[in-house]
Amino acid sequence: MTKSKQLLEDNVGKKMLLLANESIARGVLEAGVRLVALYPGTPSSEIGNNLTFMAPHISNFYFEFSTNEKVAMEVAGAAAVAGVRSMMVCKGPGLNVAADPFFSLAYVGVRGGMVIVVADDPSMWSSQNENDSRYYALMGNMPMIEPSDPSEAKSMLLQAYEISEKLELPILFRTTTRINHTRSPVTFGSIRDRPKKIEFVKEPFRFVPIPSVARIRHPWLLKQIEFAMEISESTELNFTTGSGNLGIITSGVSYNYVIEALSALDINAETLKLGMTHPVPEKMISEFLKRHKQVMMVEELGPFLETHARRIAQLNRIKTDILGKEQGFFPRTLEYSPRIVIEALSKILNRNTSINWKAIDRKAAEISELPPRPPLLCAGCPHRATYYAIRTATRGKAIYPSDIGCYTLSIAPPLETADILFDMGSSITTACGLAEVTDQDIVATIGDSTFFAAGLPGIANAVYNQHRISLVILDNHTTAMTGHQPHPGTGVTGMQRNVPPLNIARVCKGLGVEYVKTIDPFASLAALVAAVREMITWTRENHKPAVLVSIAPCALLEAAKRRRTGEFPPPYYVDSELCNSCKRCLNRLSCPAMYLDVETGQAVIDQTMCNLCGTCIAVCPQGAIKQEVV
Amino acid sequence: MKSNTISIVISGVGGQGVLTLAEILAKAALSDSHNVRVGEIHGMAQRGGHVACTVRIGAGARGPIVDPGTANLLVGFEPVETLREAHMIREGGCVLLSSHIQYPIAVSMGKAAYPTNKEIIGDIRKFTDCILEFDAMAMAKEAGSSRALNMIMLGAIIGTGLTPITEEAAIDAVRNTFSKKFESINIKAVKMGREKVEELNR
Repeated sequence: MTKSKQLLEDNVGKKMLLLANESIARGVLEAGVRLVALYPGTPSSEIGNNLTFMAPHISNFYFEFSTNEKVAMEVAGAAAVAGVRSMMVCKGPGLNVAADPFFSLAYVGVRGGMVIVVADDPSMWSSQNENDSRYYALMGNMPMIEPSDPSEAKSMLLQAYEISEKLELPILFRTTTRINHTRSPVTFGSIRDRPKKIEFVKEPFRFVPIPSVARIRHPWLLKQIEFAMEISESTELNFTTGSGNLGIITSGVSYNYVIEALSALDINAETLKLGMTHPVPEKMISEFLKRHKQVMMVEELGPFLETHARRIAQLNRIKTDILGKEQGFFPRTLEYSPRIVIEALSKILNRNTSINWKAIDRKAAEISELPPRPPLLCAGCPHRATYYAIRTATRGKAIYPSDIGCYTLSIAPPLETADILFDMGSSITTACGLAEVTDQDIVATIGDSTFFAAGLPGIANAVYNQHRISLVILDNHTTAMTGHQPHPGTGVTGMQRNVPPLNIARVCKGLGVEYVKTIDPFASLAALVAAVREMITWTRENHKPAVLVSIAPCALLEAAKRRRTGEFPPPYYVDSELCNSCKRCLNRLSCPAMYLDVETGQAVIDQTMCNLCGTCIAVCPQGAIKQEVV
Repeated sequence: MKSNTISIVISGVGGQGVLTLAEILAKAALSDSHNVRVGEIHGMAQRGGHVACTVRIGAGARGPIVDPGTANLLVGFEPVETLREAHMIREGGCVLLSSHIQYPIAVSMGKAAYPTNKEIIGDIRKFTDCILEFDAMAMAKEAGSSRALNMIMLGAIIGTGLTPITEEAAIDAVRNTFSKKFESINIKAVKMGREKVEELNR
C-alpha cells in the first residue's frame, strides 16, 4: 500500500513511522481542513506530494499545486475568510514570495481556521538562504506555533486550528528541515468531517483593507494579540520540565537536543519548552527568569527568544544571566545538534564535554583530502545537453543568469553556466538588468515550473522594455527538484485530474515575444548548438528578447517509466578499439554514468547508472561511443 | 547519546538507496515496538551527490542527529563516502564498507585523486578497528539486481548483531514496502548480506 493510502486510513490509534511532512498531511484530515494550496519547496515538499494522491479519495476536500506561494496564500486565505479551514504550505523563501498577502491576512483575519506551514532550512540543505521565518510572526503579528518532532507536528496542528478560530487569525506553523525530514512514530487520531460548500457572507469593511478599514483593523489585530498572549500563558503548548539551578529556554527541534545533552552530561536543569512562540508567554518567561540565576537560550538561527527574554527581564527588572548568542555561547548560522548544546553547557558549567570532540576533530583533519562529490545533473538529464550546447555556442563567454531548480547545478564544472541568481524567476529579470549595462551576450535559463511560478512578469518586462536577452526555457514536464510535482504546463492538477496544459511557447508568443522556437535537446546536439547561436544573433540584431524552449522529460521520470514497462532501449558503450583516451566526454559532459578506467585510461559507461540519453555520442570526436544494435 | 540508544549512520551516493534503507530499518524497529528516529536530507543531496542519513533506535533517541564520535554503526555504500563519515564512529563502533567504487566526476576529469583502498582502510582505522569490507554491488548483482545494493547492506546490518532488529522484522518491512515484482531478489539480498557479515565475523 502506498504511503498516501495509508495516511487515509480511518484507524484511530494506529502507529506509523512518518516524516513530519507526512504527519502534517495526515493532520489535514484529522483537522477537517477543507482546502490546501501550496507551491512545492524542499523541505516542505512531502506535504503536497502526499496530499495530491490523498485528495481524490477525501470527500469535500480541495487541494492544489498553486502557481506560486503568493497565489497559494491568497487561494487558501480566501477559503478561510469564507469560513472553512484551510492551509497554505511553503518553504522559508516561499514565505518571502507570499509576504504581501501574509500581512494583509493578519489585518483582515479569517472566519475559518487557517494555518500557514513554513519550512525553514537551517544549514541550507536545499535553499538559497536560511532566513528565520519567526520574524515574520513578529513583524506581521501573526500567532506562531512551533512543533519539535513529527508527533507534535500533528497534535499541535490540531491545536493551531482551534487557536486560529478562537482568535480569527491565521497561525504561522513554523517547522525546520530536521523536523520535516525526521521520521518517527506517529499515532493516528479520528478524522473530522468537512463542509460541502458554504455561503460567502459579505463583510467588505472588514475584508477590503482600504486605508479607512486598515486603520480600524490594525488596533483590532493588536487587541487579538493580547488575547493570544492569554492563550500563550495558559496553553499546554508552553510547559516546563525538569528542575535544577540552571534554566533553559528552547523551542522547536532544539528541545530534543537539550534533552539529549542533559542526559549525556547527567545534569539537572529546568527547561521551558515553548510551542507557542508568538506571542511568547511573558508572565511565564518572567517567572522562569526570576527562578534562575543563569538561563541558557537554545534556538537555531536568530536570537528570537533571546531578545524576548532580555526585553522581558528589562521590563520586569529581573537580574539574571541570559546566556545565548549575544555572548557567543551559540552560533547564529547552521543547524544545531546535541554536541552544540553539550559544548555550551560544558562552557557555562565549566566541565568537560561527554565526548572528546577536539580529539575527533583533530583526527578527522588528518585524513587526506577526499575527492568532492557534489550533487550533479543526473545521468540522462536533458539539461546537460542544453547547457553543453549553450556553453559550446557561446564558448563560455556569455553571461548566464540562472534560476531555482535542478538546473542551478550547472554552476559546477565543466558546464559552468550559472553566473547570477537571486530567487525564483530572477534569471529573466537579472538578464534584463545586465543587458542594459553590458555589451556581453546574455543567455538566461529557467525551468518550466519556475517559468510559470515567477517568470511571466519578467517576460512581459523584457518584451515591453525591449531587453536584448536570450532565454532558454528548460521544459522537462515537471517540478523535478522538489520531487516531481505537476505545474500548469503538465496537464495534471493537484486533484490528479487531467486538464489542458498551458503551452510555454504559446504563452511567450502571447506575451509578445517575437522570436520563439522549440527544440528537442536529444534530437541533435549540433542542431541545438546552432539554435542557441541563431537566437543570440537575433537578439543582438533586434535588441529584443528571444526564447528557445528545450523540451524533453526529466530523466528520473523516464527511468521510472522504463522500470514500470520493462522496455529498455539497447545500452550505450565505449568502443575500446576507437577510444583514444582524449577524455573529451568526461571533461565536457560530467555525466555521472561515465568514468575513467584507471588502467586503460579510457572512458567507460556504467550501464547501471546510464539513463540512455545518448548525448555523449555526439561529444566524442572519434565516434567511439555507440549504442548496441539488437 | 544514552547507552540504550543505537545510532547508525548510512552514507553513500544519491540514487544508491540510502534513504530507502533507513526507512526500512526504522519500520522494522518500530514493528518490534522500539522507539526510532530517522534523519534524512532530501532535494539537492539526491542528485548524485554524497548522501548521509541517520537511524537511531532506543528510548534515548529524541532528535535525528548523530554527532561525531557517537555512531555505533557506520554503513558505507561506497569507499570514499564511508571514509567521509568515519569521524561519526564512536570508540569500539563498527564499519560496514562496500568496496565497489563509484568514481566522483572530479576524479574522472583528473581534478582529484581517488584514495587507494589501503589509504581508506588506514584512515578509517584511526577511528575504529572494526571494519567489515565486502563488495555489496557484486553481491546485489548476484542476487538479481544492482538496485538491491541497499538490501545487501540491510542484511549486513542485521548480521552485525549490533541492532535489536531481527531478520524476520526486516523482511516483513521489505515485503510491506516494495512491489511483489522484486520481492524474491530483495529477500535473497538481505539473507546474502547477513550471511556475509556473519562469515566475516567468524
